[in-house]
Amino acid sequence: MSEMVEVIVDDQTFHAEKGSLLIDLLIKEKVKVPYFCYHEALGADGNCRMCMVEIEGQKRPQIACDTFIKEGMEVRSKGENIEKVRTNILELELINHPVDCPTCDQAGECSLQNFYMDYGLHDTKITIPEKEKGLKKVDLGSNVILDQERCVLCARCTRFTDKITGTHELGIIGRGDHAKVSTMPGKKLDNPYAMNVVDLCPVGALTSKDFRFSQRVWFLKTVESVCHGCAKGCNIYIDHNKIKYQDDVIYRYRPRRNDEVNGFFICDEGRLSYKGLQENRQHEIVLDNEVISEDEAIEALKDLVKKYKSNITVIIDANLYTEDIEAILNFSKEIEANVCAPLDIYRDEDFKDDMLKSAQRAANYKTIENLSLETKIPEKCELLINFNHPGKFEAERSIDFRTHQDPDAAFILPLASYVESSGHITNEEGITQHCQKALSKNDPLPTVIEWLEKVSV
Amino acid sequence: MRECKIVSRKFDLKNSFTLTVSQAHGGYKTLKKLKEYSPVEIIHIIKDANLRGKGGGGAPVAGKWELMPQDQEHDKPSFLAVNCDESEPGTFKDRQIISKDPHLLIEGILITCYAIGAKHAYIYIRGEYHQYQKILQAAIDEAYEAGLLDACDITIHRGAGAYICGEKSALLESMEGKRGHPRLKPKQKEPEWYFGHPTLVNNVETISTVPFIVENGADAYRAYGTEQSPGTLLFAMSGHVEKPGVYEAEFGTSMMEYINHYGGGIKNGKRLKALIPGGVSCGVLTAEEVENLTLDYEALRSIGSSLGTGGMIIMDEDTCMVSVLKNILEFYHEESCGQCTPCREGTGWVDKLVGKILDKRGSKEDIDKLLEVADTMNGKTICVFAPSVSKVIVSFIERFRDEFEEAL
Amino acid sequence: MSFTFSNENLLKIEALKKRYPSPKALTLPCLWMVEYQEGYISMDAIEEIAIHTDTPPMEVYRVATFYTMFHLEPQDKRTVQVCKTLSCKLCGSDEILAHLNKKDLNIVHAECLGSCGTAPVMQIDDVNYENLTIENVDEILKALK
Repeated sequence: MSEMVEVIVDDQTFHAEKGSLLIDLLIKEKVKVPYFCYHEALGADGNCRMCMVEIEGQKRPQIACDTFIKEGMEVRSKGENIEKVRTNILELELINHPVDCPTCDQAGECSLQNFYMDYGLHDTKITIPEKEKGLKKVDLGSNVILDQERCVLCARCTRFTDKITGTHELGIIGRGDHAKVSTMPGKKLDNPYAMNVVDLCPVGALTSKDFRFSQRVWFLKTVESVCHGCAKGCNIYIDHNKIKYQDDVIYRYRPRRNDEVNGFFICDEGRLSYKGLQENRQHEIVLDNEVISEDEAIEALKDLVKKYKSNITVIIDANLYTEDIEAILNFSKEIEANVCAPLDIYRDEDFKDDMLKSAQRAANYKTIENLSLETKIPEKCELLINFNHPGKFEAERSIDFRTHQDPDAAFILPLASYVESSGHITNEEGITQHCQKALSKNDPLPTVIEWLEKVSV
Repeated sequence: MRECKIVSRKFDLKNSFTLTVSQAHGGYKTLKKLKEYSPVEIIHIIKDANLRGKGGGGAPVAGKWELMPQDQEHDKPSFLAVNCDESEPGTFKDRQIISKDPHLLIEGILITCYAIGAKHAYIYIRGEYHQYQKILQAAIDEAYEAGLLDACDITIHRGAGAYICGEKSALLESMEGKRGHPRLKPKQKEPEWYFGHPTLVNNVETISTVPFIVENGADAYRAYGTEQSPGTLLFAMSGHVEKPGVYEAEFGTSMMEYINHYGGGIKNGKRLKALIPGGVSCGVLTAEEVENLTLDYEALRSIGSSLGTGGMIIMDEDTCMVSVLKNILEFYHEESCGQCTPCREGTGWVDKLVGKILDKRGSKEDIDKLLEVADTMNGKTICVFAPSVSKVIVSFIERFRDEFEEAL
Repeated sequence: MSFTFSNENLLKIEALKKRYPSPKALTLPCLWMVEYQEGYISMDAIEEIAIHTDTPPMEVYRVATFYTMFHLEPQDKRTVQVCKTLSCKLCGSDEILAHLNKKDLNIVHAECLGSCGTAPVMQIDDVNYENLTIENVDEILKALK
């Protein structure tokens, strides 16, 4: 660790590492400074010229993303002078921008719009009607749509494919105010992390084909959760909304920064995994092709447990919250059942990469390991109680707690999914993380714990 | 007016571009003398001569040379990059050197490489100079055959149409096989870098001046010019002048005398209206301002312009200054690399604004706006491209505001 | 349609590689070779250059689009670069342009070609034709046919 020095920003004293970037300090200390091109994951590029600050002793304003911390540096981020500079540069960004906010999906989370509210709010002085034209809807591939006219050429997306994925699909072509973001003719944006460019894009130039036009972002409610796509445990925001007369549904996942786990990004498969969560759900309790009531089901379950006493095996899905797993273990002890959590079925070597994707596609398998649970597939038993494990097991009789439909199940009890409840999971590196409950459904399904309270003998 | 031919000495000789003619007239003579000096001593001579960069900036050359490491480790050898991207409108002097006395440039390269410890020099030449590049390449081939390049290689690197590549860091980016985007400026004094190798970038004429100084000593060079702008420059004239062309003259020469003596005065006996002193990036001057002006860095700076490359563009009394500014702004609009916002968006905007005024669709607010955008473009970009545009706009409006207002 | 460098160009590439610290430096030289060999730069050629320069194809493509002298489409007409910058304009490039625009040529409005002292100027196949008048433009074009 190098030397810490004192820096004064707007009369406030801060401490920062000597030689580190000023903009990092400003971001950390929540000093408001606008920027398009800088991104902590991508580093400085210095092209947008928005993060101008005044530095004592410097004749001209300087960009904070290309200013290195020095002992005793005095920085001014506010004041008439510097705000005028920002306003003027912002105005330049707007001359070729279509200002089509009413039809732009980015509206509400657009840096250009936000900075205009902070530094613009002026009547337009743009007295030339001609704007540079670009393509309005280019399907780049990987669910990413490009609007060249809205682009501010910050090069975040191209730096992402150059520096982060190393796949080099995107680039800025042409020059001057004709410069455009593009792929090579005939080529597509094609990598497992491609949709991160949508989050990186500070404006509405890159939007998600999956999300666009589905919701205005200001209607969305956000909770913090963890992706269940694999054991990596990437941190996410779940954006959901309950439209009047409809049910609470998820509209998108977005990556949530966690330097210990996933950094800034998530994979596209994880990002889109919310869709599978909301499709083909099991809502009714079905016993031998007949829908039955909850009371009938509890009765039937208790009968079966009694009947098969000491010949019961309980199977646990390695995606369940630790709290659920513990409740199942207690229940199993109560009914003297064997417990088993087969893990082999989750293993997917094709999914694995050296960025974020783990071959172990079970979010909480580490807890199964930590509890030293049996992971071998059980030999045929008489009564099998399966808590959402995806495997198929032979048994004389089965009881299946399922979030999703299972045509093979004779006795199926619906289960809330992880976004409909809260709990903890431990990722493959042993980091335990909390997932908030995202959805409050109109007809909520019981969680594992709720079911077990009901059936407890 | 004193005739002084330091760089252009052999220009008028028949077949001056050949090795035979060059050597018959003293070419490569300094190479024998070179061994008498250590590299550091060569740098001292250049420093004593106060040779200033002739590509437009006029910065002291030795200052850049001294930044080059003298004890270079073997795995990161130093390079010299010779800037022959001459693209500044009104400038056509380097092409005279490479087509009329390419061996002088080669000789200068060999001395410079010796001084900075480089074993390989690249000449970055603009793509449009291919016919002159061929002459230069032939001279390099001759020099190789004559064993002159045993200790130092020279490779020509051809650009492909981008004004910005004359900016030294953009030039190196281009030579690295990238888009010609200027780099963020270092915070301390350091050499330029080419693939991580310390590299010196100097203009063709600068390098071509080196042999004279090393051969004749710093005092011989300082015998010409002024105290602060010593020596000579390949000044040039184009536009409304009887005999346009490149004529070497010492710094401090009277501008009007130069125009009348070499250029034969304003074309068709008309009166001078305005003059751009050293490529379009220098602020425009009125005939009155030029009257008692001398051709040196200090004099031009004192009236808010700059000497630039010394390529003067001369405009007679009939010239419409609005259309001249429009023409210049079209150039900048076309040539902005587009990397940073104020330049990318600003060059287009000012071009369109002046276009509007020229088409008689403009209003007084457009002139104000023009100045405001010019202000935003000044001092806020990665390189000096946008600040130059800004200064040009201000110089036109300050001096010819009435013409802009009349055009509304 | 695939692209291959001619043997002559392949030899040039190998020779040039020895003159630079990195093969990436060969991007512009290779683009020029393709421009002369094919008359334009196809995407296949870009892929090929990418291999020789050890550079992603997209990087080569964005470089090719930055410089105005490369053609990314086949040219069916003769390209004439006419300088329109200040010295040429002051010396009558507008009339030359208007005259040339009537002809069946690919006219490129070039920025300063470095012939300000011999303005107006046009460039055809790397050669500058200077001190143009309407009359000598026609003669030059006739002689080139």
